[in-house]
Amino acid sequence: MLVKVLAKSSFSSFVGALGDYGDLYAPVKTSEKVHSFKEIESLTDIDLSYTRTMIPPKKFFIHPEEVIFEFNIDEELYIEPPGGDERIVLFGVHSCDINALNLLAKVFTEELPDKYYLERKERSFIVGVSCVPDEYCFCHSTGTSYAQEGFELFLHDIGDSYFVRVGSLKGHEFIATHPSLFEAAEQSHYDSFKDAERKMYASFTNELEMAGLQDLLDMAYESEVWTEYGDKCLGCGSCNLVCPRCRCYDVEDHINLDLNTGERVRKWYSCMLSEHGLVAGGHNFRPTARERIRNRFNCKGSLREDMPNCVGCGRCTVFCPAEIDYVEVMKKVRGDLK
Amino acid sequence: MKVNPLEPMKAKITEIETMTEIEKLITIKLHDREYAESFSYTPGQFVTLGVMGVGEAPISICTAQNDELELEFCIRNAGRVTNAIHKLKVGDTVWGRGPYGNGFPMDVYEGNDLLLIAGGLGIAPIRGVLQYALQNREKYGDISVLYGVRCYDLMLFKDDMLDYFRNGDRHGVKFYLSYEDKEDQVCYGLACERDDRCMHGMVTDLFKKIDRPSKKTYAIIGGPPIMYKFTIMQLEKLNFRPERVYMTLERRMRCGVGQCGHCIVGTGKSIKYVCKDGPVFTLWDAMNTKGMI
Amino acid sequence: MKPRVGIFSLTGCAGDQLQILNMEDELLDLVSHIHIVDFQEGSSYKEEGPVDIAFVEGSVSTETDLKHLKEIRERSKVLIAFGNCAVEGGIQAMRNDEGSIDERLKEVYGVEPGFFDARLSKPLSEYVDVDLDIPGCPVEKEETLRAITSLLHGDTPLRFTYPVCVECKLNEYPCVIIESGKPCLGPVIRAGCDARCPGLGLDCIGCRGPVDSASGFAAEYSMLLEKGYSKEFILNRLRVFSGEVKEDFLGGDQ
Repeated sequence: MLVKVLAKSSFSSFVGALGDYGDLYAPVKTSEKVHSFKEIESLTDIDLSYTRTMIPPKKFFIHPEEVIFEFNIDEELYIEPPGGDERIVLFGVHSCDINALNLLAKVFTEELPDKYYLERKERSFIVGVSCVPDEYCFCHSTGTSYAQEGFELFLHDIGDSYFVRVGSLKGHEFIATHPSLFEAAEQSHYDSFKDAERKMYASFTNELEMAGLQDLLDMAYESEVWTEYGDKCLGCGSCNLVCPRCRCYDVEDHINLDLNTGERVRKWYSCMLSEHGLVAGGHNFRPTARERIRNRFNCKGSLREDMPNCVGCGRCTVFCPAEIDYVEVMKKVRGDLK
Repeated sequence: MKVNPLEPMKAKITEIETMTEIEKLITIKLHDREYAESFSYTPGQFVTLGVMGVGEAPISICTAQNDELELEFCIRNAGRVTNAIHKLKVGDTVWGRGPYGNGFPMDVYEGNDLLLIAGGLGIAPIRGVLQYALQNREKYGDISVLYGVRCYDLMLFKDDMLDYFRNGDRHGVKFYLSYEDKEDQVCYGLACERDDRCMHGMVTDLFKKIDRPSKKTYAIIGGPPIMYKFTIMQLEKLNFRPERVYMTLERRMRCGVGQCGHCIVGTGKSIKYVCKDGPVFTLWDAMNTKGMI
Repeated sequence: MKPRVGIFSLTGCAGDQLQILNMEDELLDLVSHIHIVDFQEGSSYKEEGPVDIAFVEGSVSTETDLKHLKEIRERSKVLIAFGNCAVEGGIQAMRNDEGSIDERLKEVYGVEPGFFDARLSKPLSEYVDVDLDIPGCPVEKEETLRAITSLLHGDTPLRFTYPVCVECKLNEYPCVIIESGKPCLGPVIRAGCDARCPGLGLDCIGCRGPVDSASGFAAEYSMLLEKGYSKEFILNRLRVFSGEVKEDFLGGDQ
């Protein structure tokens, strides 16, 4: 692995250089409790002390709502909308979100690759940044507190400078074209990096035992826990929409008033919404909140590519208006909590 | 050639047969010859059929692969899309993507007896299995079909089914029929015609009529969710091993390619997507996947 | 032949009809596709005879309304309950469980039964088959246009079957419940407004009525109780636009 060191004094030049690659997006505080990845106009907008954004960076790859085809009935054509050529830099992405993107990419780019996802991934430049967990973070439990891949550069805060891991050829090329920004890493930098990681790891206060969770969920299929939280659940879908790993979508056709042209739109959906399991003819495979919340936790607790389908970011707990705590539910499933 | 898996491919409707008040048999021919020729499928797979400006719906292919490059679908008018398809005429355009799903593993069944059990719309994929087995008759042992209908008016593929009923033995298939509506005169007539093959009752009642299946029998089920439970009880009584029972499931689907998430089943231990991992599963899969049936 | 469209009004403020007139950019295109046989707010021109698509706004609040509604149903192929009054009964239905109309007229106006042509305010579906509902106070222009377009195309319009929270999240608006404990009804109210109020920092007051069934009401009720709102406050809030909110919507243990 290639590593470099970026002095904090070079930070603004570094961010400026990132802007040369493409439109720069970074966490911005938009309200008391919400951060959002937004296009950056000025360096001072960036808030790298953020813990989590409300909407995860998946929004850059699968848009919340997007036209996947335009159609023309008379001409009998489905036309892919032009892909665009704007390149984007996602600056300040945390490990949990990078790991979530890695799993999403597997769904959308393997087997039958999603054209839209592939193109956007190709045109993106991801810069990870180390973070400090709050009381909702449990990514050390889910094994996603460290990103091995899925970024161009990863910046670890080691005091006066950043310890920079290079994660891709694109990242390497960036360094090669901006040699003056970076220094070679010396033993002291490696030591500081290890210290910083150790400190971060020791600062977690939230924890979920993962061993055997899949079996325990299976055994809890008829558990009272689903009724308890099903009754509490508003069915608003927020937990799915803020989840960096949720990727359910719905598809709608909209026809224009000329009754000839229109669009096929794909938009984010949620398994907590009442029609998620409804089939034509009226049978609903998950008719009540009990079945829906059970399905959600089972989906989150399952393994994909040997990684849990939840990356421990804490969003679903923080942004649940009914204050349903993901870790608390899972602990009840495990029997750790009564 | 197609590159975007979500891009619908053009097809023309070449034939429409009204089967019941709510079901039509629609035959389509894919427009792009190269795509049509590369379109190979096994019974039990499905296609996402759509109408421009309305949407798409997953529909099982109810034929076995043939040289005509035509596909048949039994379409029940049950929602927005199927309603729109029902309004189309011969020569109109529909849009398809697929084939999707795993389909029935016809090669696994080779050298074995087949017991096909179908109810309601579940006959559609089962018909493909039967066609395939009859086209490759020498590869399979005894073939029996148990088909349950509510009444004669709701029977699907009437010509085919009555042909199997009357002349099946000649094609090498024992065809059994059950009907739920006691007052149904046509079905009663069929029962009089061959009381060893047709009776009033549920499809599961037909187990009384059949010879005990051999140990090398595969049971293949297609039907509404409620039918599985009762059919499986019968098969378990006959000591069918769970990996010898196959069934095809219905779920909500948007994409057909394992992305949209609607067709999810199972628990943390056993998450499956019906569109991609199914729609055909064994009883062993179902035993290990809570909520599947 | 262009489809014959009627836009009819029962008891309400006529704000939903006004939304059609407000479609300034699309109105000319729209009328080129349809033949309007009745549109009180748009023209004094009226035509008898069958109607392909009837938009009916307002609630049934008088005997005259009821008679009018039945006549409209009789002559219409597709009848659309247009706006919150027609779909849920409107704000005039919020006191429906507080005594009979006769008692109330006596109390307020001191008149004997039959003096006014009044009934308890009810949604259209209470009396006739409704083919489609377009909720809102007032209705959304875009949803209305999409419904018309879809009907002209010959299929069933899509309905919003999810709550306001979905649109709120997709817009990345801060949640007013989480940020400031406001009694937002977004989790249980039908989307389609693009979360306009939460986007302005205001709590949703539910003008689009409940998402399909009122099944989330029990959870919303418990949540607001826990936040310290009184039962009376919550019930009043739900009743403004959600018609007759029965106490059993709120679960067993209120």
